[in-house]
Amino acid sequence: MKKSKLLALILAAAMVITAGGCGFTGSSGGTAASGTEQTASSGAASSDTITVYDTNEIRTMVQWAASDTNSFTILNNVSEGLYRLNAKHEPEPALAQDCKISDDKLTYTFTLRDGLKWSNGTSLTAKDFVFSWLKQMSADATNGYSFIMTDYIVNGEEYLAGKAKAEDVGVKALDDKTFEVKLKQPTPYFIRLTTLPMFFPLNEEFVKSKGDKYGLDAGSMIYCGPYVLTSYDPASGSVMKKNDSYWDAANVKVPNVKVRIIKEQATALNAYKAGELSRVILSSSDVPAMKSSPEFSSNNEFRTTYLQFNLTDKTLSNKNIRTALGYAIDRKTLADAILSDGSAPATGLIPNYMYGNGKETFRELNGDITAFDAAKAKEYWDKGVKELGSVPTLTLLTEDDSVTKTVATYLQSEFKKNLGIDVKIDSKTKKARNQLMDNNNFQMAITAWGADYDDAMTYMDLWTNGTPYRGSYKSDTYNGLIADAKKQTDDEKRLQDMLTAEKLLVVNDAVVSPLFYRGSAYLTKPNVKNLVTHPFGAPIEFKYASLN
Amino acid sequence: MFRYICKRMVYLLITLLIILTTTFFLMKKLPGTPFDSERFSLLPADQQAQLLEKYGLNDPVIVQYGKYILNVAKGDFGTSFFYSGQPVSGVIMGRIGPSALIGIQAILIGLSIGLILGIIAAWRHNSGIDYFTMVIAVLGVSVPNFVAAALLQYYVGLKWGLLPVAFWESWKNSVLPSIALSFSVTAMIARFMRTEMLDVLGQDYIVTAKAKGLNQFKVLMRHAVRNSIIPVVTILGPIVVNLLTGSLAVENIYSIPGIGSLFVDSIKTNDYSTIMGITVFYSAFYIFVMLVVDILYSVIDPRIRLASNGKGD
Repeated sequence: MKKSKLLALILAAAMVITAGGCGFTGSSGGTAASGTEQTASSGAASSDTITVYDTNEIRTMVQWAASDTNSFTILNNVSEGLYRLNAKHEPEPALAQDCKISDDKLTYTFTLRDGLKWSNGTSLTAKDFVFSWLKQMSADATNGYSFIMTDYIVNGEEYLAGKAKAEDVGVKALDDKTFEVKLKQPTPYFIRLTTLPMFFPLNEEFVKSKGDKYGLDAGSMIYCGPYVLTSYDPASGSVMKKNDSYWDAANVKVPNVKVRIIKEQATALNAYKAGELSRVILSSSDVPAMKSSPEFSSNNEFRTTYLQFNLTDKTLSNKNIRTALGYAIDRKTLADAILSDGSAPATGLIPNYMYGNGKETFRELNGDITAFDAAKAKEYWDKGVKELGSVPTLTLLTEDDSVTKTVATYLQSEFKKNLGIDVKIDSKTKKARNQLMDNNNFQMAITAWGADYDDAMTYMDLWTNGTPYRGSYKSDTYNGLIADAKKQTDDEKRLQDMLTAEKLLVVNDAVVSPLFYRGSAYLTKPNVKNLVTHPFGAPIEFKYASLN
Repeated sequence: MFRYICKRMVYLLITLLIILTTTFFLMKKLPGTPFDSERFSLLPADQQAQLLEKYGLNDPVIVQYGKYILNVAKGDFGTSFFYSGQPVSGVIMGRIGPSALIGIQAILIGLSIGLILGIIAAWRHNSGIDYFTMVIAVLGVSVPNFVAAALLQYYVGLKWGLLPVAFWESWKNSVLPSIALSFSVTAMIARFMRTEMLDVLGQDYIVTAKAKGLNQFKVLMRHAVRNSIIPVVTILGPIVVNLLTGSLAVENIYSIPGIGSLFVDSIKTNDYSTIMGITVFYSAFYIFVMLVVDILYSVIDPRIRLASNGKGD
């Protein structure tokens, strides 16, 4: 019939139009490449591919714009810094073969390995580090991470503000193989910083030749890490293959790796069962059923979720009230029974396993400073109420994702049970919650902070600026301790400053009440070995993995 | 006809401008900035200002609006904040393909099965097949597509291993999501078709056609179906727009890099340029489909005249 023919014609036309653009497996990498990929790497259970996933899109491959863990993960595997974290999360010489630190601990001289090459064949020299570090310290950097260099490097801040010239900044290529960095103050964790994506080298000539197009697809980047990107699509993931020109290529065992994007947990589990994923992260409801599986394991991240009190609030300016709220929370039940996803109960602000003095971790050194004690909670609460003159009403501000809401509901029940009070929950989108906090328009809020680097300073530094987001905490003692720690040349004294500062923040001044350290429980296919997950920065490390 | 289309095109532009303006000012009311607020607030004030300046976010909203409209007129939709540096048009184009493909397939499946079921149900009114069709219709409308998607994924994908569980690698990956999306289309089309056919089958001209000695099939196809299909075409418009512009739930379940999830994410992250880009795309597409539907009316039923003066073509 006439009309159905016409309809068919229109639909067929629409199909032809879209067929060109429906781009299976990453439409960005160009058409030629994606065709061959499909046949080569279907199914993760194959003997040469590891496939993992992330729940968020890969936002960018441009390292001076990247600020999320998923982008970091890809960057860390296709590029490399002077040092790289080993399987035990300790820094190991990578593109640098060694580093000499001057006696005043202010000058670091890195010597690069011989014959380093970018994936396009150009030599990798110390100049590539100077270029990328200056870029990160310039206004071009949009990732909000400039501080991670300008805080330490001589004239970094001045350069960023446009008050110093590039040649005055403390990063110099003495020759092709020697890279010298001058620091403002001794920084015991500086070597650990160089493992982060912001510190990776960039080839000036290549970056400039690509202009605005740099990093937009796999072809507009060059690589110096264990892998090279073969395709990159923010929404469906990226595919990498082993980089044959990598200096340590002999020790990279898995030829192909894939990072997919999966937003639904159930989908990830189905894909894992169907053999399309090498590892799946479990939701808390799946953990009990899977716990006994030999494929089960869990890990802890350097990420503390805590209760931030607003010290300018009429009620919460009372320290006894804050202390009471802190004592009233049974964190063990929260982590083990409510979350039950690999998370660990918080015993302080600084997460488990974070660097202390090399022998013991920071947490071991400072002990458990957030114990649960219902009797003390009630005692402090009554004292606080007496001082205030009436029983206050409290509102807990929280983000509206399911995990945080669960935590908020649990806190509400704990406060009811142990203090006998009804706390209101105000759940908002992340942006809205942040705006309320920035505008000093909250009483207490659940927030979290993930470590940028493996040192307690990544947390402690946050409470020195007295912003409403950090509860408007303004303490000369605390700021004095942090300032002293920053310029201290004696590592032991510095550590003591930090330990005291944590106690001050959590116990004496009760500014925050740490709740839990995020963890994940996951299943890994038995043929995948040594797929390392770092607790901070770029989590997934493919370099040490093997398949058998 | 030509004049009519030209007139509609002018309306299209005016409508678009109104939608753009409303969305732009509403969007600016969203709390926060496109930047990661925790890190952003850690930056010193001058650096914050520098960053806002770079993206023109320091200007008064009305100035930002003016600049944006000018750029759009030049065909420049800006670059995404979330996908740092990627041009919005590229981001959107890359995500339309998958959504459109599963959308079109879902419509083709839904339309063909729906029409056939509807016609047979009306033709064999109150028979077994009629009841069967109605059960399908009720199920199709009341079972949400994400439930169908999850069930299909678990059984067809995982248990029986017939089709890929998820992802977007070859045409095979598009089959399950298309089927999941097609249920509601089938149901809606079948219901509309059945009701309308029942109405038409009772008309005098059907009796006449039968009296003329035309066979059952011809009566059905030439007289009944043609006259019943108008309401179906009407609802086809919104269905096409809905399906081709993506379904968040189904896209997420099958990990399809479609446009549905892009839209939701862009709003969550205050990715202003992407929100606007998708709004323009959605509205232009919707208005365009409505135009096509109107034109289809006159093709199916010549009694419907689009232009008041002159003939429909």
